[in-house]
Amino acid sequence: MNENMTPAIEVRNLVKSYKDVEALDDITLSLAANRIYGLLGRNGAGKTTLMSILTGQGYATSGQALIFGTNPYEHDETLSRICFIRESQRYPDDFTATQAFKAAAMFFKNWDHELAQRLCTEFALPLKRRIKKLSRGQLSAVGVVIGMASRAEITFFDEPYLGLDAVARQIFYDRLIEDYAQHPRTIVLSSHLIDEIANLLEHVVVIDKGKIMLDEDAETLRGSAVAVMGNAQKVADFIDGYEVLHRDALGSLAAVTIKARLTETQRQMAAELGLELSAVPLQQLVVRTTLAEATKETTPDSLEALK
Amino acid sequence: MSNIVNVARMQLINKWTFLGIPMIILVSSTGLTIAIWAMIPKQDGVTTLVSGSGQAVMWYFLALGIQSLTYTFPFSQAMSVSRRTFYLGTLGLFAAIALGFAILYYVLGLVETATNGWGMGGQLFALGWIAENNAAIQVLFYFVLMVLLFMIGFWFATIYLRWKTTGMLVTWIGLGLLLIAFIGFLSLNKMWMDFWGWVGGFTVPGLLLGLGGLCVLLAAGSYLTLRRATT
Amino acid sequence: MSVIDDSRPIFLQIAELIENDIVSGEIREESQVPSTNEFAAYHRINPATAAKGVNLLVESGILYKKRGIGMFVSTGARAQLLATRRKEFQHQYIAPLAREARKLGITGAELTVMITQSLSTEEPEGRGIR
Repeated sequence: MNENMTPAIEVRNLVKSYKDVEALDDITLSLAANRIYGLLGRNGAGKTTLMSILTGQGYATSGQALIFGTNPYEHDETLSRICFIRESQRYPDDFTATQAFKAAAMFFKNWDHELAQRLCTEFALPLKRRIKKLSRGQLSAVGVVIGMASRAEITFFDEPYLGLDAVARQIFYDRLIEDYAQHPRTIVLSSHLIDEIANLLEHVVVIDKGKIMLDEDAETLRGSAVAVMGNAQKVADFIDGYEVLHRDALGSLAAVTIKARLTETQRQMAAELGLELSAVPLQQLVVRTTLAEATKETTPDSLEALK
Repeated sequence: MSNIVNVARMQLINKWTFLGIPMIILVSSTGLTIAIWAMIPKQDGVTTLVSGSGQAVMWYFLALGIQSLTYTFPFSQAMSVSRRTFYLGTLGLFAAIALGFAILYYVLGLVETATNGWGMGGQLFALGWIAENNAAIQVLFYFVLMVLLFMIGFWFATIYLRWKTTGMLVTWIGLGLLLIAFIGFLSLNKMWMDFWGWVGGFTVPGLLLGLGGLCVLLAAGSYLTLRRATT
Repeated sequence: MSVIDDSRPIFLQIAELIENDIVSGEIREESQVPSTNEFAAYHRINPATAAKGVNLLVESGILYKKRGIGMFVSTGARAQLLATRRKEFQHQYIAPLAREARKLGITGAELTVMITQSLSTEEPEGRGIR
């Protein structure tokens, strides 16, 4: 019972600063066990830094990062419950994929050899070739196979689809849902692309410039914004009072994304005004929200700087 | 504990690095030396042929110290192994291998003496000033020498891993300055004679103690450096 | 390929897809519906989300759970759904239809003729366009 109450991942006021930059700027986060999370953000937003600290591969400047309530840094017992293959993971120079899997089988106690084999076949991974001679996509596939077959209680996938073709990506998503359904565990998918994985996610965390911009259930997010298009004046009247995420104008026409869950009556009203309503995909919603937050945050600062 | 053993097993997944290559170096350098000796026309007055090719394997251990860290440390991190476990597993494995080779050297030294220097009066393993000590000291001497070379490689690799090029530069410059200061000190005080006298006075057990201490120092330094290293 | 879109929470869409199949008779009453994992795999969505959709229908009595076996369609589920949908029909289909007709200047009499025509040419059992 207690184990279930402890979040799989808990981060409190985490800061990681390098000489000239704050890679993580006071991050606080709590992720419950056995869900699929999306850790989203642009390249360089701080995703990998955060995951490194969460897996004891890196260390924080200040603040806390706890895995099942314990700091994973140099803590073998906690580390053994985690699997994190970096996007830029390095393997021993002379290792073949088979040898890497052999090693993984020694360290991950839940390792599923059959799953690994099946994935290798589906990805058409050359097992006898040295890893350093593999293509970018094949290298990603090695990481995906280790991440999946490790069945670690918390598994991080760092930009897992890099270089994978559409078919291979679909295989990854399908196998992930399948295996997760049979063996529920905490999965963190880190990505700068959202569209393809949007439907897999239960919860979304967006990070930008080392700060959390969004931390929300995916289902709550879906349909939480709407794009209103039509005559600029009518659009302006209609969206009055709502939080505007994005604004586009073309002559007398306007397209405005607002944070709103419209009622049926409002939809009818929009239709009567000749306004067109359209859904906002998760990817766009995240981008809009992130940008809106970013401008909100930086405006006072930049004004200060101008003085 | 089991993970420390697993790290050693991981290092041995590719048998060549830790076992195959040193054996090949040992066999080929020995074979080559004996072949060369066989081709040298016997000169009058020369009774023993001495060769340093027995050291070849030891120099490989320097490279191995660098390799075993740079190749496998980032991977061990992905295998969810702590730095401490990686360190103990890798060093433990090397200590075992070094001990094996040290015993092999001793045995080869015995064979050398028994066969009158491979039938040619050669000296490869049973070098005079070591062979005159007892078995334990001989084995220990080779062991410490191998571990020392491995530790030097390993330590340099951890410095590079943690502080990259800057760390390397600072280390080399630091070592260079130390050396210059040392030479300068001896020269200014006209103590070179004393120094060489001091070196010449070393006994094998004394040397063992000194080098052994250096090993421990390097091992501790490597661990402290590795503790905060990131890939 | 996906019938899932971004406009609304996915669990609502899953619930609606199952409802549609019950209304059209694709899934008969007292027969088993696919498991949440099957829904998840088929629609490539999070299993927890699929479960939420199914649970919505359990709460409204459309589906019921047989312990250890799975989810089944309740007796009377179709009638219940039809009643709800009929209630929504005016609101969801007739109102926008009337609005568009007014815009185009179609009179009530003309509209009636059109509707009568459509009803007689299109097969009555066709699945709702949703």
